[in-house]
Amino acid sequence: MDDTLPALRLAGLRKHFGRPAVDGLDLSVRRGEFYALLGPNGAGKTTTLRLVTGLLAPDAGSVDVLGIDLAKAPAAAKAKMAYLPDEPMLYGKLKPFEYLEFVAGLWGVRAEDAEPRARELLDWLDLSQHAHELTEGFSRGMKQKLALAGALIHAPELLILDEPLTGLDAAAARQVKDLLLAHVANGGTVILTTHILEVAERLAQRIGIIRAGRLIAEGTLDELRARTQGGSLEDVFLQLTSTP
Amino acid sequence: MSFAPGSVLWLLRHELRLAWYNASGGKDAGGKRGMGRLALGLMLLGWAVLHVGAWVVVDQLAGTPGDDPRILLAITALLAVATTFMLSSSIKASVLVMFERSDLDLLLSSPLPSRSIFTVRLAGVSAGTAALYLGLLAPFAHAGLLQGQWRWLGIYPGVIALAVLCSCAAMLLTLGLVRLLGARRTRVVAQVIGALAGALLVIGSQLHALLSKESQGRVRELFARAMLQVEETDHPLWLPARAMLGEPLPVALLAAFALVAFMLTARGTHRFFARGLQLAASAAPPTVARGAALRHRFGRSLFGAVVVKEWRLIVRDPQLLSQVLLQLLFLLPLFFVIFQRTDIQVQAIGAGLAVLCSSLTGALAWIALSAEDAPDLLLVSPASQAMLRRAKLAAAVMPVLALVALPLLWLIVRAPYAGLVACFVVCGAVVGAGLVVFWCGRPGVRSNFKGRGKGGFMMNMLELFNSLSWGALGWFLAAAVLGPLSNIGIVAILAGGLFAIVAPGTAWLLRQRRV
Repeated sequence: MDDTLPALRLAGLRKHFGRPAVDGLDLSVRRGEFYALLGPNGAGKTTTLRLVTGLLAPDAGSVDVLGIDLAKAPAAAKAKMAYLPDEPMLYGKLKPFEYLEFVAGLWGVRAEDAEPRARELLDWLDLSQHAHELTEGFSRGMKQKLALAGALIHAPELLILDEPLTGLDAAAARQVKDLLLAHVANGGTVILTTHILEVAERLAQRIGIIRAGRLIAEGTLDELRARTQGGSLEDVFLQLTSTP
Repeated sequence: MSFAPGSVLWLLRHELRLAWYNASGGKDAGGKRGMGRLALGLMLLGWAVLHVGAWVVVDQLAGTPGDDPRILLAITALLAVATTFMLSSSIKASVLVMFERSDLDLLLSSPLPSRSIFTVRLAGVSAGTAALYLGLLAPFAHAGLLQGQWRWLGIYPGVIALAVLCSCAAMLLTLGLVRLLGARRTRVVAQVIGALAGALLVIGSQLHALLSKESQGRVRELFARAMLQVEETDHPLWLPARAMLGEPLPVALLAAFALVAFMLTARGTHRFFARGLQLAASAAPPTVARGAALRHRFGRSLFGAVVVKEWRLIVRDPQLLSQVLLQLLFLLPLFFVIFQRTDIQVQAIGAGLAVLCSSLTGALAWIALSAEDAPDLLLVSPASQAMLRRAKLAAAVMPVLALVALPLLWLIVRAPYAGLVACFVVCGAVVGAGLVVFWCGRPGVRSNFKGRGKGGFMMNMLELFNSLSWGALGWFLAAAVLGPLSNIGIVAILAGGLFAIVAPGTAWLLRQRRV
């Protein structure tokens, strides 16, 4: 595979729900990049991610994942990515290992790879001590961490997260952030949406800001600052999103 | 009477509104109100027809004295049946109030006294319980009123008093279970008791048929002796029946009894009610002993992973499992009737098993296929969606076939040809029921298992059609292998076979388009 291909490329992506939710979005995320997608409420962030992961079909435009056209080869594209929505996709009546076993089955991960990786992830996320419990009794943070472990069990090249830190306490948020940084350090790509601008400021190499389904600004934090003469990312964000 | 915000009446209005939403099906996934105008219109039409029937009955009973022991016995028997069903629905309603409604935290954190909240909740349960039976019996009161037979008006206070008594008993039972078993188990146990209470009388009535002739005679003798002791019409046993017939003193006594029970329950248990709710909210998650080995196996095939996951989810949900199995309980009377006639047993077993297995498969298939907890997880995975759905269908079908294998084997040994016919119709019924849900099932949530019919009328009708077709086919095919078949039997086989294909065929034609 060509290593110069972007991890994700969106071209002219459109989705209407009565009104345009995503309106001709063009976006490219490089391999090994930590990319933050920001925008005010209703800007189309979640819809964009759902289009990228195949949960929604676009009205127009294309989604390429690591050079694979999602519309033409959905299974091959999905095999290379993982999605973590803001509401964890879990089964309350399964225990952590059983959940990971099922997710590994969905992605066809071999037992010799899946089992040690499941142990490693649960250890890393401090969930091993809860391995005997059903996930229905887990706190919000524990559920989010387990869902993240599920997303990472097949070692995806592209990890897509929608508000992954919502509802997490400081310690859990730190664990998740460390895990995401480690994923990027190992050559993986992370795309996340967040309302916590400090997270984007500290973790993301590049930031894209969308409003009304369109990309209105993109670049490194310094590039965005230079463009707006702003101070913090919050100033930049507010300045860009409030401009008519 | 004040409806000022925070008053008991204001709270009662809120409670009754919620009860109405719950009874009318609330809103479906699409946000559409559960009971549309058409359904409401049909209900009103049915109620009008009921009034016509009631008019005829009341007219015919015009000259009958109210203290006729036969009338009292008939009404008492009717009330006994109604009371078990009332108790059943009260228990279910109290479980809903205690465990499933999400507004109690809000109410208990408000400055409203907990006694008012509990009193209103109890009143709401009573009103909900009484409403259905008043709907069925009030036409008799109205017909009596129009015909100048005032005694029938006793139905109103009689039904309300019985509903209040059942609601008090149900609430006390639920609260007692919380103390005894803890909140988590109570929810399941109370639901099982509620369903059993409803089914008990139906099953009990059939148990008599299972007894030997001698035992039946003994039971009749005991009953006659008991009747001699209570034949005086002023015996307390007849009190509810006499109240229903509008006798002033029994009406007053029953109403006073219900009122006292309501006040004592509300006054004596409201603190425990609040504590029970806290227990319910803070119920510890179920855990397995720490030393126990963790059973998991990575590296299963996609098919295996899905099947095992579905089985785990079903087996670990006792509430769901009890609901699935309890619906089979209601089919048992059918078997009791069948087993009374030895000449039709072999035919009946195959047909009965086909109906039973079809129903069970439909329920399990709905759980596996339509009530997926994490549909997005499956959609974002690279797994073939068709393969996932086939695995889910298999997860629903396999346990049913495993469950029925032994009875079928017994049947084959006893009557080989009829046994093979039974195997055929059972397999057909199971596959048919599974395919109907496979093609026609609409997404739902597991907690709404009982209400799954509301979201998929066509699926339910096709499931029923499938069950009955295979049942009939099984009956007449077995009759054909056991002896010569009449022309009607041949027509029945052809019709049964045709309909057995039509049910899944229609489901295929109506199949849902999926992403």
